[in-house]
Amino acid sequence: MGTIVECNGVSKSYRQGKLVVPALAEIDLCVEAGGFMALAGPSGSGKTTLLNLIGGLDDADSGTIRVDGREYARQSKAQLADLRLHRIGFVFQAYNLIPVLSALENVEYVMLLQGVAARERRRRAREVLAVVGLEGMAHRRPAELSGGQQQRVAVARAIVSNPSIVLADEPTANLDSKTGEGLLHLMQRMNSDRGVTFIFSTHDEMVMAYARRIVQIRDGRIADDLHKASEHR
Amino acid sequence: MLSIPVKMAWRNIWRHPRRTLLTTLAIAFACVLLIFMLSFQFGSYEAMINASIKIHTGHLQVQAAGYQEQQEIRRVIEDPRAVHQALAAIPEVDAHAARARAFALVASQERAYGIMVEGIDPAAEAQVSTLPRIIRAGAYLAPAPDSEDLSGALVGYLLARNLRVDVGDELTILGQGRDGSVAATVVRVRGIYRSGMDDYDRGAVQIHLQTFQEVFSMDAAVHEIVVTTGRLTEVGPIQRALAPTLTDLANTHPLVSLSWDALLPGLKQAIAMDLVSGAISYVILILVVAFSILNTFLMAIFERTHEFGVMLAIGARPARLTRLVLMESAGITLVGIGAGVLFGCLITGYFATHGIELGGASDLFRQYGIPNTLYPRLTVVTVTAGPLTVFFITLAAALYPALKIQGLKPVEALRLT
Amino acid sequence: MIGNLDVVTMELQLAWRNIWRNPRRTAVILTAVIIGVWSMVGLGALMRGILIGMIQNNIDTLTGHIQIHQQAYPDDPAIEHSISDPETWMSAARDALPAGSRWSQRIRIGAVVSNARHTRGAILMGIDPAAEARLSFIGTAVTEGAYLADGDTGGILIGRALAQQFDTRLGRKLILTAQDSDGEIVSRAFRIRGIYQAEMADTEKGFLFVNRQSAQQLLKLGNRISEIAIRLPAHEMAVPVANDLKARLAGSPLRVRAWPEILPLLKAYVEMFDTFILIWFIVVFVAMGFGILNTTLMAVFERMREFGVLKALGMRPGRIVRGVLLETLLMLVLGIGAGNLLGLATCWGLSITGIDLSAMAEGVAYAGMARIITPVVWIRDLLRANLVVLLLGLLVCLYPAIKAARMTPVAAMRHH
Ligand SMILES: Nc1ncnc2c1ncn2[C@@H]1O[C@H](COP(=O)(O)OP(=O)(O)OP(=O)(O)O)[C@@H](O)[C@H]1O
Ligand SMILES: [Mg+2]
Repeated sequence: MGTIVECNGVSKSYRQGKLVVPALAEIDLCVEAGGFMALAGPSGSGKTTLLNLIGGLDDADSGTIRVDGREYARQSKAQLADLRLHRIGFVFQAYNLIPVLSALENVEYVMLLQGVAARERRRRAREVLAVVGLEGMAHRRPAELSGGQQQRVAVARAIVSNPSIVLADEPTANLDSKTGEGLLHLMQRMNSDRGVTFIFSTHDEMVMAYARRIVQIRDGRIADDLHKASEHR
Repeated sequence: MLSIPVKMAWRNIWRHPRRTLLTTLAIAFACVLLIFMLSFQFGSYEAMINASIKIHTGHLQVQAAGYQEQQEIRRVIEDPRAVHQALAAIPEVDAHAARARAFALVASQERAYGIMVEGIDPAAEAQVSTLPRIIRAGAYLAPAPDSEDLSGALVGYLLARNLRVDVGDELTILGQGRDGSVAATVVRVRGIYRSGMDDYDRGAVQIHLQTFQEVFSMDAAVHEIVVTTGRLTEVGPIQRALAPTLTDLANTHPLVSLSWDALLPGLKQAIAMDLVSGAISYVILILVVAFSILNTFLMAIFERTHEFGVMLAIGARPARLTRLVLMESAGITLVGIGAGVLFGCLITGYFATHGIELGGASDLFRQYGIPNTLYPRLTVVTVTAGPLTVFFITLAAALYPALKIQGLKPVEALRLT
Repeated sequence: MIGNLDVVTMELQLAWRNIWRNPRRTAVILTAVIIGVWSMVGLGALMRGILIGMIQNNIDTLTGHIQIHQQAYPDDPAIEHSISDPETWMSAARDALPAGSRWSQRIRIGAVVSNARHTRGAILMGIDPAAEARLSFIGTAVTEGAYLADGDTGGILIGRALAQQFDTRLGRKLILTAQDSDGEIVSRAFRIRGIYQAEMADTEKGFLFVNRQSAQQLLKLGNRISEIAIRLPAHEMAVPVANDLKARLAGSPLRVRAWPEILPLLKAYVEMFDTFILIWFIVVFVAMGFGILNTTLMAVFERMREFGVLKALGMRPGRIVRGVLLETLLMLVLGIGAGNLLGLATCWGLSITGIDLSAMAEGVAYAGMARIITPVVWIRDLLRANLVVLLLGLLVCLYPAIKAARMTPVAAMRHH
């Protein structure tokens, strides 16, 4: 399998007034297509920053990022939006559903952006909601769902567009361990059934245990890169 | 089945019901006010125009060129019959009547005043003006002068008071004829009228056209032929239809047709000024409303920056967000305008049928020919002009926050909660 | 005392910071208030200017502030209702007039004016040229030829519009015909000495000026006159001075009227406009009131948690109400201040040249307005505009303030 994400010498620092806060320094990282990778590290180490850069939500100060072989620095705003729309799925720590849309509509919305026909949209949204075990909740608004349910909708939304890669920033942080494990199982299944690449950040040992590869970040640098030989079952 | 973007916009609108309600109320208020005010203005203009047209001026007049400015007794229509014939052939013309006018000293037993003496054709005049219907004492002129007695005359009630005359009293008219000769005659007051316009009620005496022509050496000539029609909009077509006849007719001073606004230039300009000053106040008012509600539009994006960040992250283009926000603003505006137009029409419609009593101000309005009760005119223009302006100015206000989204950076948006 | 001041300063400081928490939102609502107040001040001053212009116009055009006539003349302006012995009455009245007042005696009678080809009605004014010049517009209105000289018994001044209509010019003759005091029709020729311009074409067509002596001779009036016109140093003096004159002349056959009595329509107009200005103020306020209320509501609801905490800490509801109202007050004062400045600056700018409506002269005349409108700022209008915004603004914001104060701490904390 080929490389889907390729970071070369990526650095990023934030400016806070006169203070320059380095967040990432000289990151080199390749992620194989079909990977199931955890990004681990203490708080403030730069996990979110890295995921944002890979997702094209932010610009790196230096270095190059390629996803699916396309270099971000060369893409226009609209091209980046399209790339996110078709190739990348996001799952955030705090669910981040659109509050005025129901679960079903939240999932549909991505396909609407993609220009999928209404009937097809509806069918696929229902299908994906069933996959994440929410078929009975399709018409509830986010406010009427529990945290775990909202996060499952978020996953459904992330995968419904058939992305090559899903970026999840601490997807289980707001969930109890049982719900969190359920979500991880779900992600695993997506990974094995559909071949979707997953990169998720966490500082939870239990979550890391699910990953086939664990990249440790400390102070904005890759401190350790562990490829597990066998899969966790 | 509504599409998701429309649903989204609609639901967003009602996320803060109180705020949305206040915003729509502000817009509705502006619309109601504008509809009412414009209808009121147009109603009063129509009353003013109609009063002038019906009492005296008519929708248009045929005169000798220069008569309007000079009021010179020599500038006559020498052959009125030809003009009458041409007018009779134009279908839009409702009625037409000839008049002749001259300033003269009119004296009663005790008093003398310099006023306008008008020769009218009683039967034809009844078709073009309200004169027969505003007689308050005595009677309207008989179709032809009385051969047994003095020729009859009509006077306004104010003039009658100034001259100290009543029905049956004699008036001596002393003036200058068309040929410069002395024009003198005695007439008998037959009726006293009250038009409501003081200047008119104080300033003229009406006698038989035939008598006038004899006394003022007019032969068959007259000064003006007054034309009325069903609607103001038919004035133009009539003038065009009449033009060839007027150019063909031989007359010492060429004949012209003058529309009501040329006959009453002051009225037209006063209306124009009133409209312009009204428009200025209304635009200012709408601006105040626009800034009043701009915060609603602004908040609608600032409160939701995080949400917009999510939408950008899942691949929405900024233009789509701008569209969404504009749709929401347009939605609020349209709800407000809808309510405003509805209530504006209801309120104005009520007054348009029941009228507005002017009460203490009626003395004032009467000077402009507006009767005691004023009826606002609800027309397509008065209903749409205000709300349309509100719509565009409000949307212009909404454009600023909506365009601000374009500069939104996903990471920064996501960091805000 | 000092402690109290301290608290006030602190509360003010707090309120000030609070209104600038969301600078953009405050700026927007301030803009609404500023435009509103600016339009109140500006349009109010323009309307006032139009009114003053109308009054000025009428007073200049022969009305004067006060007129004295024979009892019956105002209702029936006929020649037999003339004032005999005007000098006697004038000396009795003179003491009542404030310093700087001017007066003049006039003949004012309806007449017919004609030349070889034209005839029309007009008002014949018999004036004392020197006294009249200090009183009414005619002193400075002659644009062709010359003003009447004392003792010029054969001269006449006519308006430009009449000269045009009559196709006549300086040096030509006009015939005046009128009824004399015996009821006889008399006429006499006068030579045009001057042609004047007035605000309105109607004035130019309607008034003819000759020397008082020649009018008295023509009409066989002896030394009788039609009216005494008085011009006072200020408009406001008209009514009190007239009342004083009425008292002094009680029992005489004379009737004293101040301009509001002479021109009841103008008075009604002024009153109607007064009401109209107030209504306009309120309408503009309502337009901005929605915004003020909405913005305050937003600001309050955003801070519900904070209010909850403050209440939990023991702050009394009254104090929360006061705090919110203080913020509104500061905001309004800011907006009103800027709006007033802007409005006054606009008025000042417009008053340099005035707004010239000559292009619309006929419409202006129809509406009875002056050709040049200069905005006039009245303290009373200014106060009214400011009070409307301030008081109604505070009243409207009582709702969010009470809303904030009523919130129980727990409910407020849950609020987001
Ligand atoms: N917008 C910003 N402005 C300034 N500094 C920032 C900003 N975003 C991140 N940082 C800083 O960059 C560094 C990396 O932050 P990042 O959010 O990537 O950490 P993280 O590994 O995701 O931490 P956590 O596990 O707490 O989410 C931190 O030191 C943080 O303070
Ligand atoms: Mg993080």
